Amino acid sequence: MKHSFKVAFLAAGLVAMAGSANAFECKVKEASMSKPGGFPDRALTMIVPYGPAGGSGQVAAAMAEAVTSLTGVSINRDHKSGGSGTVGMTAYMAAPADGYSVLEHIDDASSAHALDSSRPNPATDLIPLVTSQVTFSQIYIRTNETRYTDWKSFVAWVKAQNGKATIANVSKEGSMERVTMKFITDSTGMSIQQISFDKGAPRYGALLGGQVDALYEQPGDVRKFLDSGDFKPILTIFNDRPGVFADVPTHREMGMDFEPLLRFRGFYVHKDAPKDRVEWLKWAFQRGYCEDSYQKFNESKFMTVIDSYRDTEGSIALINATIPQYREVYKQMGLDVK
Amino acid sequence: MLENFIAGSAALFGDPFTIAIFVFGVIGGMLFGAIPGVSMLTLAAILLPFTSDLDPAQGVMLFAVIYCTGTYGGAITAILFNIPGAPENAPTAFDGYPMTKQGRAGKAVGAAVLCSAIGGISSALVMMAATEPLAKWAIRNIGPPEIFALVFFGLAVASSVGGRTIWKGWLSVLLGLMVATIGQDPVGGIERYNFGFADLAAGIAFVPAILGFFAVSEIFVQAEKKVTGKYDAPPVGMSFPTILELWRYKIAVLRSILVGFFCGILPGIGATLAAFMGYGEAVRWSKDKKSFGKGNLEGVISSETANNAATGAAMIPLLALGLPGGALTAMMVAVFQMHDLEPGPLVFYNSPDLIWIVFAAMFYANLSILIIGVMETKTIMYLLKVPFQFLAPMILLLASIGSYIGRGLVLDVVVMFVAGILGFLLRRSGYSIPGIVLGIILGKIGEQNFAQGMQMVHYDLVTYFSRPICSLLILAGVLTLGFSIYQAIQGIKQKSPAS
Repeated sequence: MKHSFKVAFLAAGLVAMAGSANAFECKVKEASMSKPGGFPDRALTMIVPYGPAGGSGQVAAAMAEAVTSLTGVSINRDHKSGGSGTVGMTAYMAAPADGYSVLEHIDDASSAHALDSSRPNPATDLIPLVTSQVTFSQIYIRTNETRYTDWKSFVAWVKAQNGKATIANVSKEGSMERVTMKFITDSTGMSIQQISFDKGAPRYGALLGGQVDALYEQPGDVRKFLDSGDFKPILTIFNDRPGVFADVPTHREMGMDFEPLLRFRGFYVHKDAPKDRVEWLKWAFQRGYCEDSYQKFNESKFMTVIDSYRDTEGSIALINATIPQYREVYKQMGLDVK
Repeated sequence: MLENFIAGSAALFGDPFTIAIFVFGVIGGMLFGAIPGVSMLTLAAILLPFTSDLDPAQGVMLFAVIYCTGTYGGAITAILFNIPGAPENAPTAFDGYPMTKQGRAGKAVGAAVLCSAIGGISSALVMMAATEPLAKWAIRNIGPPEIFALVFFGLAVASSVGGRTIWKGWLSVLLGLMVATIGQDPVGGIERYNFGFADLAAGIAFVPAILGFFAVSEIFVQAEKKVTGKYDAPPVGMSFPTILELWRYKIAVLRSILVGFFCGILPGIGATLAAFMGYGEAVRWSKDKKSFGKGNLEGVISSETANNAATGAAMIPLLALGLPGGALTAMMVAVFQMHDLEPGPLVFYNSPDLIWIVFAAMFYANLSILIIGVMETKTIMYLLKVPFQFLAPMILLLASIGSYIGRGLVLDVVVMFVAGILGFLLRRSGYSIPGIVLGIILGKIGEQNFAQGMQMVHYDLVTYFSRPICSLLILAGVLTLGFSIYQAIQGIKQKSPAS
């Protein structure tokens, strides 16, 4: 079982590493595409399963703006938040599969399906139009922290606390954060209390104010604290050191032998939507990714540090590699995988 | 500070377009706050894409102004029609609407106008004076254990509000707390009481529950009276409170400013907790607790002062640390980002002009509540003269839209009607609607912070109570609870035949 576990991780790693951050080059050459049968002749609706101010809300807004500016077609964003994306996904699956409704979702959709196969599989029940953000996670501490200053001293300090050290994250059952923390604690032998904050502000405030000892997060979400010098990363959970974090060691360099789980956000359409409409939507969203406004947005969120772009096939490969990865870990964690 | 404030005011009023944006924000915030079914968040969401074409200071200023006036705007419908414009106006309805039924709508609205302005201006002044040190103090000293303790402290007086007996008050609060547990648990994400409905995974949303318990149940109550021939249209009382009348509540105003400011400064908490805590403190310190929920002006004053005092305070963690306090301040982050700016410590160094235009605009927006609020209110109050048979369907329609618009779920409209029917039946039996709503709102905030707090202290109660602010608040809450139980037992003894 351990062997198959590693094989699954290796496959996922290869998919994740497909392409490193080079100068941006748009992979969709066609600058325009005729509307099939006049579609769309009215505004599209984009269901977003999270609030407007979070990472998903922002990427949805940026992509909607880019697609509208490219095609002239308006996109109404409909935020149906709650239940870790369940509410939005359920609402989307109940919407007519006519191509007028698209869905924004993150890797939570894949992990939810991994835990419970009755939940929609984003690679088969939906058609990925584009994955427009792929990012890695890091562990952060306060820059003025004196008890530890880097990963090694942090691990030593945590071990000395006998399980009383704390880290803020979104540690819902089966989340990417909790699974990765299990990898880290298993590899290092340290025990650390995870405190789950579902909103960003209290999570970051907890580290800033010294309520917790460390923070698990993606760099784009804490960029302002990095720029202001309040936070500093001490560990990058990725196979290579990204250029902008060249002085931060990776988990592999620190002796942790696991394949990193990535946070990815993308856009989907129902699998039963008419094919010609799906093709047009694929073009619009993949080309929308190339728009200057969207690229500028991704840059501001550290989303160009590694290759954030996956077309339909790339997205399916990413999801297909991620689901077994989660499933294996869930079984190891003793969760009830259905 | 004064020099910067004058410079900010000059920049604000030195450009006709900036003035136009300011006026638009003031009026738009009030209107969207006052019209049932939409809120200041609706207006902010509509305006968000357009702010990219504005100057960064104009964009952020517009949202800050909408925040100030929108928080006040929801009080009008809470008082006149029992429809809180937003959760932070719900405690205003506890006493505001009974005052309307007693023909004292003018006094309630007048107090709301004045106290919203006082609360907002006071917090704007503190915000200007000490944003950075206050924000740093708050995040260092107030964590999940303290927030839970604050909620516990607030809930300890909840039983006193609106119930026929203290036991019915407590049962109402417990029902609210139970409803608050529907949906995923805040730590592990384990689903609870969703009965197979995926939409319930996110729990019961505040707005449909509030609209159901307040507006819909009230329509049923009035409809019953109409059918049984007991209906009397509420007299339209236009007389505003006198300065002398309001002066009597100076302590309540001061207390609510402090409570509102304290709650507003906590990241992720905002004006809703502020309003409920402000109201709860008014009840706690009152000699006539039983008058609350039945038309006590102090209830309106405390709630409206506190929620507006939270607006300036909520800007403190946003501007100083980049931590938004609620949904609208989170949208402000997006406005900053659209202009390649990030709220946080650097914004004071990189964009001091922007900060002081925003500070000045918030000050003047709160001031303008006084002027425009009085004019607007006199117009809106004439709606009370609309006959019930026309007003009731209009309120039901607007409440249904208001419930649906938040998440676009039919479930929320169903929740509103279920809450309305439940509220109607419970009110007939003497249970407390404010108690249920307090339980739902404080329960959600409290459970999450309790779970986080217990994780932080490794489930060790000794460590939990070694945090001084936390232990003080818990102790005060326990004493209040003990006193309330003692009073209830004394009441039973006095009623028993033996005594």
